[in-house]
Amino acid sequence: MRFSTTVPTDPDTHEDFQPTNKLESSGLSLKDIVEQDVKDNSVMIYMKGEPALPRCGFSSLAVKVLREYKVPLAARNILEDPELKSAVKAFSYSSSSGTVFVDAFVVANSVVVERMLEGETDSNWPTFPQIFIKGEFVGGSDIILNMHKTGELKEMLKGIGAADAE
Amino acid sequence: MGVTKEQVESSITAKLSPSYLAVIDTSGGCGASFQVEIVSEQFEGKRLLERHRMVNAALTEEMKDIHALSITKAVTPDQWKKQQDTEKSQAAA
Repeated sequence: MRFSTTVPTDPDTHEDFQPTNKLESSGLSLKDIVEQDVKDNSVMIYMKGEPALPRCGFSSLAVKVLREYKVPLAARNILEDPELKSAVKAFSYSSSSGTVFVDAFVVANSVVVERMLEGETDSNWPTFPQIFIKGEFVGGSDIILNMHKTGELKEMLKGIGAADAE
Repeated sequence: MGVTKEQVESSITAKLSPSYLAVIDTSGGCGASFQVEIVSEQFEGKRLLERHRMVNAALTEEMKDIHALSITKAVTPDQWKKQQDTEKSQAAA
């Protein structure tokens, strides 16, 4: 007999002994929360810690950059809820500017593309913070900083402050 | 165990065939934090978000052990050349 540390996929295993997946059972409602967050808030950031007290240098950097623009900033702390973390990851994969994204990759035709289309979701954006602007996934702290430098961020945030301040 | 600089380099080289690559271990040796600069033709025609996704995807295995990956540069050879020219002219001025 062989000893193994992996979970058997044997169909005879009684369901009481099968691994439970908490994420799967609660995934739907969390996905809805994220969807709502991103829809309701022009600038939504999922980060480690709170905007006033970030728990990670990258989250801190992202908040600092966004604050420069004086736009309303909604945030959730993913450290408080590991399941939320997974829900955000899955969401940022699916929500990034649909057609442009896919078209570019059809043209590219590389190994990376195939893997992405096969849906290896977590690998495509494994880190936090994750920033959504006007319902679209923008990226992490490197991207925000880069867009800040090039002026793209200013362009993207145009009109947000005024509209939301009412 | 953390990830080594060499592992990060070889994975990026294999998947993105960069013309220039710099990987810096910013973790102080424990291998949990890296900063990378990549110049690759494969970035041509892609937005920054897509480029970062490609890098993340290239490092799927490594990312399980890496806490922080900072992609400070993800440009095409043309963009890089322009950047270098600008830097040079600034330095000369």
